[in-house]
Amino acid sequence: MEKFLESLPEHAKDLKLNLGTVLRQPELTEQQAWGTAVSTAVASRNPRLVEVVQAEAAGHLNEQAIHAAKAAAAVMGMNNIFYRFRHLSTNPKYGDMPARLRMQAIRTHGSDPVDFELWCLAVSAINGCGVCVDSHEHVLRDKGINEETILAAVRIAAVMHALSAVV
Amino acid sequence: MLGVGHKFPAFSLQATVGLEKGKTFQTISDNDYSGKWKIYFFWPKDFTFVCPTEIAAFGKLNGEFADRDAQVLGGSTDSEFVHLAWRQNHEDLKNLPFPMLADIKRELCTALGILDPQEGVAQRATFIVDPHNVIRYVSVNDLSVGRNPQEVLRVLDALQTDELCPCNWQKGQEVLKPVV
Repeated sequence: MEKFLESLPEHAKDLKLNLGTVLRQPELTEQQAWGTAVSTAVASRNPRLVEVVQAEAAGHLNEQAIHAAKAAAAVMGMNNIFYRFRHLSTNPKYGDMPARLRMQAIRTHGSDPVDFELWCLAVSAINGCGVCVDSHEHVLRDKGINEETILAAVRIAAVMHALSAVV
Repeated sequence: MLGVGHKFPAFSLQATVGLEKGKTFQTISDNDYSGKWKIYFFWPKDFTFVCPTEIAAFGKLNGEFADRDAQVLGGSTDSEFVHLAWRQNHEDLKNLPFPMLADIKRELCTALGILDPQEGVAQRATFIVDPHNVIRYVSVNDLSVGRNPQEVLRVLDALQTDELCPCNWQKGQEVLKPVV
């Protein structure tokens, strides 16, 4: 990770410094922070970034959490597109039609359900689905997670997404 | 007969699980395979004509069911030794990848309500049971009519594609409490 940070170009210095900071925010537990890092790295579609983040995350997360974080990125990569289409289209009929897509990972990821929800939200922020952002944010606050924690995860998403373009 | 929404009955039965010596039989109960979906299917009698075709067809799709976190379990009112003899005897059943339940006391078939009133054996019934042991699909064929396991797979797929994501919630809808 350190080597990777050193290799970042001068014009991305803000990102480099931000990455170190956002992964150590007191609003997030270690699992929340690193799970968000893994899921948003995957969602950012840069194989090198995924590799580096996942290697580093192995020191902070158990296998189940890494699996669940990647599962969040996988399933939301699908749902963000599907539900975004539904809310972008002005034809209300799509809202009444079934998705007919498997999304069992949401039930079977095996990690902490609140953390999983947070990772789903962070991925949705990257994939840009308003309905998904809104609904996952709502569920999280319903489960007692405050805005500070949620925004802390979104900071990680923002930095990951930016890094994927400069690596 | 038990239907959709009913709890699948408790049971503990001997089952034929393989041909290898010492690993042929196993006790299986309703509590095994926890967290998985279960496909239970019953046939009237071992060594009869329609059965091996559909049993082998379920066997061929076993990987597809496993991919969907579902355990296939076959069964009849024959004993585990009859199941074993049939498997040893029939080319299509030798490598069957799922257990054959031996409901020799007919307790499970009775609880399910699938004992044929004339013949006293299991009707050709199929149940899809969810991870909470609730029956989500039932079908029963006349003793002489075989089944289409592809159709069972299609139903399982449909049952598993409920929209679990909060993204699906419409404005004004109650917040769903996902089952953990």
